[in-house]
Amino acid sequence: MPKHYRPPGKKKEGNAAKYVTRSQAVKGLQVTLPLFRKLCIWKGIFPRDPKKKLKGNHQTYYHTKDMSFLHHDPLVDIHRDIRAHDKKIKKALSKDNKPRAERLKDQKPTYNLDRLIIERYPRFIDALGDLDDCLTMVHLFAALPTLQNEKVQVKHIHTCRRLSHEWQAYIARTHKLRKTFISVKGIYYQVEVDGQKITWIAPHSIQQVLTDDVDFNVMLTFLEYYETLLAFVNFQLYHNINVKYPPILDPRLEALAAELYALSRYIDSRPMEQDNDKLLNQVDEPNLMLSQLQHQLAPSEPGALMHLVEETELVDDADGETKECRSVFKNLRFFLSREVPREPLLFVISAFGGMVSWEGDGAPFEESDPSITHQIVDRPTQGHMFLSREYVQPQWVFDSVNARIILPTEDYLVGRVPPPHLSPFVDNEAEGYTPDYAQKIKQLQAAAKKDVLPIPAIGNEDQDDTQNLLLDGVADRVEANKAAEKKKEMLKHEKQFHNELKMELQGVSHAAGTLQNMEAVKDQADKDEISEEPDLSEIGMSRRKRGLYQSILINKQRKKAKLDKLESRKRRIEESQK
Amino acid sequence: MKLKVTKKPTMATTKKNDKKKKEKQKIAKEKRTSDKKEERRNKKLLKSNKKEKVRDRLKKIDLRDEEDENAQSSDYKEASEPDSPGRGIPKGDAPSNSTIEAPNYNDAHTSGNDDDESYFSVEESDSSEDEVAPRNTIGDVPLEFYKDEEHIGYDVKGRKIKKKGRTDNIANFLKINDELNDEEVELSRKEIKIIRRIAEGKTPHADVDPYAPYVDWFDWDGKGHPLSNAPEPKRRFIPSKSEAKKISKYVRAIREGRIKFDKPKEEPKVYLLWGDDSSSSEKTRGLYTSLRGVPAYENYLKECFNRLLDLYLCPRARKKRLNVTLESLKPKRVDPKDLKPYPTTCYVEYKGHNGAVVSISTESTGQWIASGSIDGTVRIWEVATGRCVRVWEVGSAVRHVAWNPLPNQPILAVSVDQDVLILDTGLGSEEEQRKISDLLQFEKPAIPDESGDADIVSWHSDDKLGGLRLKHFKTVSSIEWHRRGDYFSTLSKKGSQRIPFKLHGLPISTTFHPSRSIFFIATKKNVRVYDLLKEKLIKKLDTKLREVSSMAVHPGGDNVIVGSREGKLCWFDMDLSSTPYKTLKYHTKDITNVAFHRSYPLFASCSEDGKAYVFHGMVYSDLNQDPLIVPVRILQGHCISNRNVAGVLDCKFHPRQPWLFTAGADSVIKLFCH
Repeated sequence: MPKHYRPPGKKKEGNAAKYVTRSQAVKGLQVTLPLFRKLCIWKGIFPRDPKKKLKGNHQTYYHTKDMSFLHHDPLVDIHRDIRAHDKKIKKALSKDNKPRAERLKDQKPTYNLDRLIIERYPRFIDALGDLDDCLTMVHLFAALPTLQNEKVQVKHIHTCRRLSHEWQAYIARTHKLRKTFISVKGIYYQVEVDGQKITWIAPHSIQQVLTDDVDFNVMLTFLEYYETLLAFVNFQLYHNINVKYPPILDPRLEALAAELYALSRYIDSRPMEQDNDKLLNQVDEPNLMLSQLQHQLAPSEPGALMHLVEETELVDDADGETKECRSVFKNLRFFLSREVPREPLLFVISAFGGMVSWEGDGAPFEESDPSITHQIVDRPTQGHMFLSREYVQPQWVFDSVNARIILPTEDYLVGRVPPPHLSPFVDNEAEGYTPDYAQKIKQLQAAAKKDVLPIPAIGNEDQDDTQNLLLDGVADRVEANKAAEKKKEMLKHEKQFHNELKMELQGVSHAAGTLQNMEAVKDQADKDEISEEPDLSEIGMSRRKRGLYQSILINKQRKKAKLDKLESRKRRIEESQK
Repeated sequence: MKLKVTKKPTMATTKKNDKKKKEKQKIAKEKRTSDKKEERRNKKLLKSNKKEKVRDRLKKIDLRDEEDENAQSSDYKEASEPDSPGRGIPKGDAPSNSTIEAPNYNDAHTSGNDDDESYFSVEESDSSEDEVAPRNTIGDVPLEFYKDEEHIGYDVKGRKIKKKGRTDNIANFLKINDELNDEEVELSRKEIKIIRRIAEGKTPHADVDPYAPYVDWFDWDGKGHPLSNAPEPKRRFIPSKSEAKKISKYVRAIREGRIKFDKPKEEPKVYLLWGDDSSSSEKTRGLYTSLRGVPAYENYLKECFNRLLDLYLCPRARKKRLNVTLESLKPKRVDPKDLKPYPTTCYVEYKGHNGAVVSISTESTGQWIASGSIDGTVRIWEVATGRCVRVWEVGSAVRHVAWNPLPNQPILAVSVDQDVLILDTGLGSEEEQRKISDLLQFEKPAIPDESGDADIVSWHSDDKLGGLRLKHFKTVSSIEWHRRGDYFSTLSKKGSQRIPFKLHGLPISTTFHPSRSIFFIATKKNVRVYDLLKEKLIKKLDTKLREVSSMAVHPGGDNVIVGSREGKLCWFDMDLSSTPYKTLKYHTKDITNVAFHRSYPLFASCSEDGKAYVFHGMVYSDLNQDPLIVPVRILQGHCISNRNVAGVLDCKFHPRQPWLFTAGADSVIKLFCH
């Protein structure tokens, strides 16, 4: 009898019934393998790892239920129709019946993925929680060149750019950006929307390296889904802040590749227009659009616009962190030099309440504007300098944003090697090692918090103030340390006293030792108690638990060894510098 | 064809025959090319002006004729002479381009000149005749363009050349009209003759014989083989495919850099291997010092793609992940501080032995302890002060000491080699002392009768030490007193079983039940429990240990702990089962001894690793409740020497206080108090 013999009339059971291999699934669905892949990607169906692999280890297994779920999806039918339609077109063309082919081409069945999105994410918050990959992909494609041979069309790239800008504009407008970090791969951003932490990477605006071993079919399938998802998410988000979604942008700014700015202007202008909108609803559509555009074009003075925005913001209810983020760059005006990557900085600075301009047409204000407080420069030397502003490197913006305070600029001045760019995603306490610069930032933060007054805006004063604050902070720290030490000592004394009392009460025979001896013994006992603690707990454990326990201990030791190494390195460097 | 010629040098591997062929081909081709060139030139000339060309030819032929004629006969020359100036002068004039004159006029004009000169001038101009451009410079345009104009074209300097009126008279019948230059050319007699011959289908010259007999100029004699007359094969005219393949191969190799023409560069053998070492400290700083220095990341697209692949290709399974902390792993138990009192610290050290202290025993009152060492002495110490009260020199290494459990019989049993000594310590009151001495005196005759087996044990009185000596045949390893102090069991090596029970394996340790007449014997693997009255096996406890080393019974009598050589300790609840209730492994080396406290819920184990563990071992009277075992203390203090006996060799509890005595291999006894 064969190994997996099933008598006739008996149903399959267990793994044989639960899982099917990929080829079985493709056969059952009567689709091609590429289409099967597409469907799996869109529906979010992934292979499973059955405990018992009946068809062998080299096969991919899917849940039978998943496959039946796929089987009932209308997308399968639509794709069959598309295929049949393609055949018709081909036939018409081969018979030289061009008009028919054209007509058929126009009537090609289409599909959309919005149903899938509501199926996969029943609530909006679910979609937000799963947005990381989506954003990363969309931002990647927004930075990609078009590839004729790889089917990456201009359409995709434009859509991705638009979607990413819309997302960034929303985040900047609602001040939901929390963490940023420049890495070699790109810039990491973390935002918090509806309590969901969303992290993504936007690659640097350098030409991406295209390798041969990337299958763009798969990427584009994913992209199709992600584009739809992000569009719907954007719509919902814009809807939540009462902005009409497909934003109508200032074509002038759009042409100047300042889409992000155009978007933010659009968003900022919308809430004020609500009353107008109701009136304008009667007017026909083109008129409406025109009037909106005119409205947007009208406030050429960005300061006034921002002012309006601030007023509106007072109304909305923001949580504490948002408030904090909003006011980091409050009242500061930035100017980006030509060589500075514009889009990330535009996004970050405006997300933290600053006002930005750049070199080029359509910029809100000129370089010669005297109200500019900071100019962001990424070149070895700066020729002409305005005395009224500070020239800092882009890293300053990111570090300040992560620290939520305005850092002193002298380390970041043009031509200097800036301090280490610390990742906000690393938990120093958990890691056990705090870099020097992190400690310095901490002190500055403490100093800034203590200061009740809002941080003064204008250049030199600001710097001096932070210096003073820093000093204050240090002084406080020292005092606090001293106090803590005193307290410790007091406690120690108390403990000793108690111990002595206890000994007396117990009436231990002091046969062997003098008072001195006693004290020595007691000290030793103290030490023993500390040292013995882990050993004792280990005795009662079962073997499995003990193994776990020891592995945890080993992990801890490793971590500690790592830290020690770091510390020793640091010490060595310090010594060598001396 | 040119290409082929240039390529030839690159061909390194052609056969000699090939070479010859090629050369032949070459020659043939060159011939052909030169022919073609001439043809082309001729065609051009023809195109430029046919008429003149015809004339030129005719003239050439004519000249040749003249020469011939000169050679043949002077008469003919003279006869032809008058013609030549008329024909020659307009041609000599042509380069000067003065004016166009009628030939007649020319004749008249030059008639005055010297005949010979004019002739020579004609001869000279003959060579330049070919290069002479037509007077009219309009080029190769249809002449109809100038049909309606007054001029026929332009001369070299750009001036118009006027049309001349056509004179249509009979005198001109011998003249040919040159339409381009609008002039009439008069044909000489010779020319007419040639024309006539051509019209007749003959050769233009009379002396050319087209049908002359063939003269073979080649000398055929003496040649080995004939020169091939075969026509050139086609393959000589078309480019070779195999060569093209080879060439393309070479081209590819050159492009890819596999074939290099310049010599490989000689790299210096010695160079700055370590680079600039001085800046190594700066390298530890961040990789990039500014944002502009951050380069493009090559693998980004690839990594994104891999992430996507993971998303749809990676099989996913729910993996149980332990989220444990150290605290959650630790068994929930009572804080050791709540379980006080227990021994914590060393208060007294008993020093005096010279060798490892093998065995200690506490007196039932707790005032004295006895100790035996391998240096051959038995000492009695006062517990509180640490003073050595009495010393016996027993000769050889002591294996075990044991006090009589009765408080009023301070008798000490000592095992030395094959003997058991029963010593009178003399620590009791006078009355007790007398009793003891009586007892020890009395026993001498009495006991051999009782045992009835003189082979195994023989009783002697030992006067030197003041006690009894029981001689065994084998080494006695341990002594256990019955709780009432009437009996004791001795344990000796191999083959000295004198118990009424069947035993599998060697006995390692024995104990009496604290309250009933039950006897425990620990063998290597098991603990056997016997009823002494019924003389039968009650229970067999399976320790599942490799080698049992020691055993102790709880004062309640229902719980037994067994220590093993592999450092494990088993707690048996005899009511529960015959397998261990709990097995604890904490010693790294052999457990040498285990002990229960008589009144406190404490037990201890000591090991060769130099540590003694104190446990809280509570046994509840409620049978449903399991015994509570909590480790409370690790006692250290004995230094571990690397002799063959090491660590702590014995531990005993104080009978009344929660104190622990430990005997170490470092010849020190320690007292740990709470």
